[in-house]
Amino acid sequence: MGTPGTAIDSLNAALKCNIIPNQEYLLQGSVLDQYVEVLLHRLRGLCDNVDSGPESFHDHELCFTLRATNPGAPMVLPLRVRRALDVPDAAWQLRYVGQQELGDKNRPTVVRSSIDMACSSTIVEFLTELGCRVDFEYIARGYMFRKGRMKITVSKIFKMGSMTSKPGEGVEAISQSYLVELSVLAPSGQDAIAEDMRIFAEQLRPLVQLEKIDYKRLGNLP
Amino acid sequence: MSYSVNISVEAPIENQIQEITYDGTEIYQPPLTLSESLTKYAQKIDFSKTSDIDFKKEPGEAIEDNKSDSDSKDAFQSSLWPWDSARNKLRNAFQEVCVLADVLAIAKDKRYMVLDPVQQEPIETKPMVQIYARKKALAGAASVLLTGAERLKTSQNEAARNRTVPDFHIELLRLRQNWRLKKVSNTIIGDLSYRTAGSKYTQTGTFEVTKAEDDDKTNSPPSSPIPGGATTAKTNSALRVSIPSELQGVAYIEVLCQKDQEDLCSVNVNLLGSGPPASNPDMHWQQKLEAAQNVLFCKELFNQLAKEAVQLQAPIPHMVVGNQIMATVFPGIQLIIGLCHSTVGDKKQQNNNSSKTDHDHVLEHSLHQLLREVHHKNTHHPFPHPATGPLGPSKKRMLAGPMAADRYELLEMTKSETLLEQIIKQAQHFFMRLRTEYVLDTIAKEVKDPLISSHWNTLNSPTQSCVKINISTHGYDALCRTPLVIHVGEKSLKCICRDGKVMHMSYEPQELRDLIFCHINQHQILAVQALAKTMGWQFLANSNHLGTGAVEPLGNASSCLLASPTGDRIIAVRCEPQTGIQVCVAHSPRSDFFPSRLVTERKWEHLGGQFRDVRLEKMEGRNFLHKMELLMASLTSSS
Repeated sequence: MGTPGTAIDSLNAALKCNIIPNQEYLLQGSVLDQYVEVLLHRLRGLCDNVDSGPESFHDHELCFTLRATNPGAPMVLPLRVRRALDVPDAAWQLRYVGQQELGDKNRPTVVRSSIDMACSSTIVEFLTELGCRVDFEYIARGYMFRKGRMKITVSKIFKMGSMTSKPGEGVEAISQSYLVELSVLAPSGQDAIAEDMRIFAEQLRPLVQLEKIDYKRLGNLP
Repeated sequence: MSYSVNISVEAPIENQIQEITYDGTEIYQPPLTLSESLTKYAQKIDFSKTSDIDFKKEPGEAIEDNKSDSDSKDAFQSSLWPWDSARNKLRNAFQEVCVLADVLAIAKDKRYMVLDPVQQEPIETKPMVQIYARKKALAGAASVLLTGAERLKTSQNEAARNRTVPDFHIELLRLRQNWRLKKVSNTIIGDLSYRTAGSKYTQTGTFEVTKAEDDDKTNSPPSSPIPGGATTAKTNSALRVSIPSELQGVAYIEVLCQKDQEDLCSVNVNLLGSGPPASNPDMHWQQKLEAAQNVLFCKELFNQLAKEAVQLQAPIPHMVVGNQIMATVFPGIQLIIGLCHSTVGDKKQQNNNSSKTDHDHVLEHSLHQLLREVHHKNTHHPFPHPATGPLGPSKKRMLAGPMAADRYELLEMTKSETLLEQIIKQAQHFFMRLRTEYVLDTIAKEVKDPLISSHWNTLNSPTQSCVKINISTHGYDALCRTPLVIHVGEKSLKCICRDGKVMHMSYEPQELRDLIFCHINQHQILAVQALAKTMGWQFLANSNHLGTGAVEPLGNASSCLLASPTGDRIIAVRCEPQTGIQVCVAHSPRSDFFPSRLVTERKWEHLGGQFRDVRLEKMEGRNFLHKMELLMASLTSSS
């Protein structure tokens, strides 16, 4: 029935029809530890389906980089591998996150290309064989919420402890605050959702300021 | 110390282009000479504006204003003497100053001219007019105050009168606590649809909230005393909700299960809902809204079912006619789902319908439950783990990639049972259960000898239940008991027999009946064997499916042979589903011997004699086993 070519064809067709959600609209902010309860309370009021309490997560992320060897243009390809520590039978996730486009002032959110896929735990060996090197790793633990298509995560970032210990043990928090992210994965060109995100971020305003964070500018800070 | 830096603004050095010749060379205007430019600027001075403020602004403005005109002015003033306008203006100014000086000189002498302040003429005041005016103004103010007081008094009176009636705003607050409201310009619009709960039905469920008018209030008391005191409190609600006409009235989903097509016409009569909906003003808004919401829900449910009925490919196609869906559950049995939307006025008509008694409340409830489940699933998507995963795909779907799911598995994931399929399955199960119950009950009634008891499990699902059957004989239940477990599914029965065999049966009740009868026979034979063991008899042979004898319409006869402890008596038992139980006894040796030509000696009689029937029905004993016990006992003692 199906020739091998059809898979590629259908992928191309899907790309052409623009149904693959490969753009991530993102707003970020942070909240101090002592106020996170207030923020969670507010989110419980705003988001969908919180009758059963917020969904918690506990993830471990490894960030790999693949450096291209051609001398003309040194290219660094970042790849993220993430796994859920609290759900042992969940699939691992390999994710590519592209350069973020801040855009002008009229654009309410950061837009970056994001391609993710589920994979098994052998992805780490596979990437190592490919020549990727672990750049850094961290553990994120917190809560996630949903509002329509928007996903809100409130997470604490932990530094990995000594390499010998198992992940999840001997970790130390990186800062005294929680990272708050508001993101939507959508096919490119759906800028209407960014406006919804801006309105939602507006509703969290006094507690947390969700903004377009420019990492390049952050890098210049002492 | 700060000092300002002078910034000079100069015209570009390039001269203006006068002309461009055809070969592209540009001919420039010669630059103005110093005197020419001075003249040009002097012309721009407007001597009529000499106030300080204007003077400050002037350079900027004047240049701007005149820039465009300067060319044209140059054009026609170039013929005149260049300083002409400046001279004219200066001359005018000089004249005015001279006149002023003359006037001042004359006024200073005070001989010919005196400067006196001019007296204003006093206004003639008439006291009476003033009084009238004041009186009028006061009367106006008083009337404003009086009307205000009057309005306050009436509102207070009204509040005092209607102290039992809740305030409009308090009612609105209560409404707001349970329903979604929003204000659109001057009206309050509410939404009673299930869209926030996950419904994707397109029909809107908006209603409007208004304040109940006064005339309604005055009208309602005369009518209300007739129904009773309870309704008077309801009618006095300060709030009125108006619901779109298509959501008014009462609706419900009617589920009927019919054996044959005989009832069809009576159901068709039941189709209603075309009449104009009459709104009932007596209803409290809460009930009104709840009813409307129910109407919307029923409509969505029916809409969904009808859509599925048309799309589903069933061996016997489902029919959708008007407000009815007809689906075949089993051959000869139909499930009819109807949407009954009636207004309050037709209520009596409905009650007259006799077919209402067939209405299956359980299936109706399941239908409601199924749609709510769909709603719930629409809103409660699983959260991804890890947290950066996309929202939406299920965990199973996420694992499909790493687990290398094939096309078939992926297709299986996309399949989901429609509401109609699920409700048909439930109806099928309902019928299967009913039939199984009926078969077991009738057998238990028909067959007295082994007792048949059935225990239905209380824990069951809408499409699966389980019954445990025990076949035992009264007084001998410790001796032998035949347990059976029957799983009642949607279209089939699964029976787990005593020996662990699993039998699958279709929906035909006769199959179950045959199986039970077969087991009754087996039970009797097994029980006799067990009894023989306790009585010290020997068990010689046993066959569950005896090949000899008349052919049975169902199943086979089973039999066993038993020998007395001394071996001189043999009992043969044959059990047939149709004819019942036959018991034969043989004696060896026979008590009496007559030599014949074939059997010449008595020793041959030890080989076993002829079997003789025992007429069980003439024997004493409560049941078959009791009789057998007595028989064995009598045969043992005689040896």
